[in-house]
Amino acid sequence: MRRRDALKLLAGGAAAVSLHPLLRAAGSQPDDFFIFIHAAGGWDVTLWSDPRNERRGITEPATTATLETGALRYWRNRADSFEPLATKGHVLGPAIGGLYDLADRLTIINGIAMNTVSHPDGIAYSCTGRHRTGGTLPESSIDVLVANERGLAQMMPGVSVRFPSAFVGTHLDRRAVPLRIADVGALTHSFERSPDYLDDADRTAITAVLSEEATALARSSTHPATYEQLANQQQSLAKLLTGDFTHAFSRKQLESAYPQFNYRGRAHGKQAVVGAFAVEAIRRNVVRCVSFALGQLDTHGANYRTHGTVLQELFDLVAAIVKLLDTTPHPTSPTARLSERTHILVVSEFCRTPQLNTNGGRDHYPNNSALVISPRFRGGRSFGSTDPDQLLPLDFGKFADGARPLAPPDVLATFLGAFGINPRRYMRDGEIVKALLA
Amino acid sequence: MIRRAVLLVVAVACGRPETIEPSRAVPFGGYSELALDPTPKGHRRMVPPEVYLRAYLTWFGGLSPAQVFQKARGRKLFDQWADYLVALGLPDYAIDAPRAAQSNTVMLAAMGRLGEALCVRSVEHDLRGRPDKRAVFAFEPIANPSRDEFASRFDTLHRTFLSYPARLAPADRVDRFYALYRSVAARHASGLLSADESGWAAVCAALVQHPETGLY
Repeated sequence: MRRRDALKLLAGGAAAVSLHPLLRAAGSQPDDFFIFIHAAGGWDVTLWSDPRNERRGITEPATTATLETGALRYWRNRADSFEPLATKGHVLGPAIGGLYDLADRLTIINGIAMNTVSHPDGIAYSCTGRHRTGGTLPESSIDVLVANERGLAQMMPGVSVRFPSAFVGTHLDRRAVPLRIADVGALTHSFERSPDYLDDADRTAITAVLSEEATALARSSTHPATYEQLANQQQSLAKLLTGDFTHAFSRKQLESAYPQFNYRGRAHGKQAVVGAFAVEAIRRNVVRCVSFALGQLDTHGANYRTHGTVLQELFDLVAAIVKLLDTTPHPTSPTARLSERTHILVVSEFCRTPQLNTNGGRDHYPNNSALVISPRFRGGRSFGSTDPDQLLPLDFGKFADGARPLAPPDVLATFLGAFGINPRRYMRDGEIVKALLA
Repeated sequence: MIRRAVLLVVAVACGRPETIEPSRAVPFGGYSELALDPTPKGHRRMVPPEVYLRAYLTWFGGLSPAQVFQKARGRKLFDQWADYLVALGLPDYAIDAPRAAQSNTVMLAAMGRLGEALCVRSVEHDLRGRPDKRAVFAFEPIANPSRDEFASRFDTLHRTFLSYPARLAPADRVDRFYALYRSVAARHASGLLSADESGWAAVCAALVQHPETGLY
C-alpha cells in the first residue's frame, strides 16, 4: 500500500470515529417507536411554552373577551394577567394541561424562525424543513423519513391520521409510503370483510395471487419498483386481513380499552381516539410511526377562553399517551417500558401574535415552538428564546451559515440525528443541534 | 402610363386561373433508418384514484356511486363512501387532505373491500339471472370446469378488467387463477354462494385488484 493511500485510510477511519458517535450509539436500538403530532391551526406559544403577561381587558374597543379564561386548570390570576408556572427547567403557560406533571421530561424549543404566516407553507416548513415551492412539497415529511429508515420491516411502517405526510422523490423505499387515513375508524372499515361469502383463507389466496402477479411483472419490467411496491403491500395486506386488527382498532374497542383519553372534549372529541390507537398499534408492534393532527387551533377571537382550552385538551392527550407508555412493556424488550423507546415530536405551523386583536384573539405570527418527549433529548429544559416584547426569535448560536435563530430544518435534522439518521441523506437544510440531545 | 398599368392589372386579374396539377405524394425520408427507443422512460405510476374508481363503476355496469352504495350494502359488504375517501386515495377537502399519488396497504384494503362487494353482487346478478343481462360474467357458467373451460371464461373477465386477451398475458397467469378458482371452490360446498360462484367471485376480486389495472 502506498503511503498516500494508508494516510487516506487512517484519516477516513478517524473521521468516522470522531464524527459519528451519535450514529453508532443510536444504531443499536432498532425497536424505537415514533409519534408525530401536528397541532393544526397555529398554536399560541404564550399560553404554554413561552408565556407572556399580556394584560387582559385593555383592548379597544373594550371587550370582555380577554377576561374569560375558560376551563384552564393552571390559570393563576395575577393582577390583570396570569402567573406563569415556573418549574425546574421551564417557565410554562396556563394551557400546559397534563404535561405540567411531566415537565421534567419535556424538551421545549422556543424561538423557531418560521418566515411565514401561511397555513400550508407553515405546515410544510414545520414537517419537511422546506417551504413550499409553488403548490408542491419539495421534501418528504419527518414521519416518512423515519419510517423509511426504521420502519420498513414493520407491517405498517407509518400510519398517518390527517398528518401532513409527504412522500417525495425516488430515493425512498416505497414501503415507507404512509398509510393515510382521515379517521382511525377508516382502518376498521377498510380491513373489515363480510364473513358471509368469502373467508380469510380465500382472501389469503387472493392476496397471494396478486403478490405473485406483481412479482412476476416486476421481473419483466424495466422499472420494477412500482410492481415490487404492490407485491409488498399485498403481503402486508394478507396479514392485516387475517389478524384481529379490525376488532382491536375499532373505535368502540379502543375507547373501551383506553378510558384515559377524553373522548368528549369540546375541541377534539372523538378524534382523541387517535391517541389510543397510537398506544395500541405500538404495543402490538405493527407500526413504527404513528402521526396525527389535531386541529381547532386557528382561533382569532377570545383567546384565553377558546384557544387555551384547545391547547389544554391537546396536551392532556399527549400526557395520557406518555403515562400509558410508562406502564406498557415494550413488545420486543419485555424488561423495558415503551416510554423508554418511544419518541414524540409535536409541531405546529406557526404561533400567534403577542398582542391581542380587537376580538380578544391572536392572529398568525412567524415565530414558533416545538415539543419533544424522548429519552434521546435533554428533558426538563427549554431551549431558544424570543424577544421579550415582540415575541420574535433571537439568535440561538453559531451555525454553518453564521449566527441565527433555530429554524424547523434544525429541529427535524436534530430529531433524525438523535437516532443515527444522517439528515443530509434527505434534507437540504438544517443542522444537528447537539445541545438538545441527551 | 397609368392607363397601361391599369390595363395590365385587369388583364392579369381576369386571365385564366393558374392551376396546379396533382402530383404523387412522396413520403418523407429517413424513417426507415431512424432508431426508435420503445423502452419505458420511467416508473409506472398509479392512475388517479378518481380514474380507478370510475373504472370500477364502469366494469360493473356503469353504476353511479349512489348505486354502488345501494347495491353493495348489506351483510357488511360495504359502508358509506364518506368512510373511505382518504383511504381510497381521494382528496378530502374537508380536512385538507391531498390526492394520494402512491398506493398503500390501506388503499389496497379499501379498494379490495369495494371490489369484493361488487364481485359478489355481480355473481349473484349475472350467474343467477338472465343471460342477456349479464354485465361482468358474460359467459355460460358450468360446474367444475376443466382448465380449458375455465380459460375461455377467464378470458372474458380478463378482457373486461385488463383490456386485453388472456393469451397475451404472461404464460402462467391462467394457471395461477385456475388454481385460485379451484382452491376457493373446494372450500365452499355450501353457503350463500355455490362452490363455482365462490370461485368466480374470488377470480373477479383478484382481477379488479390486479397490479395492471391501477397503473399506467
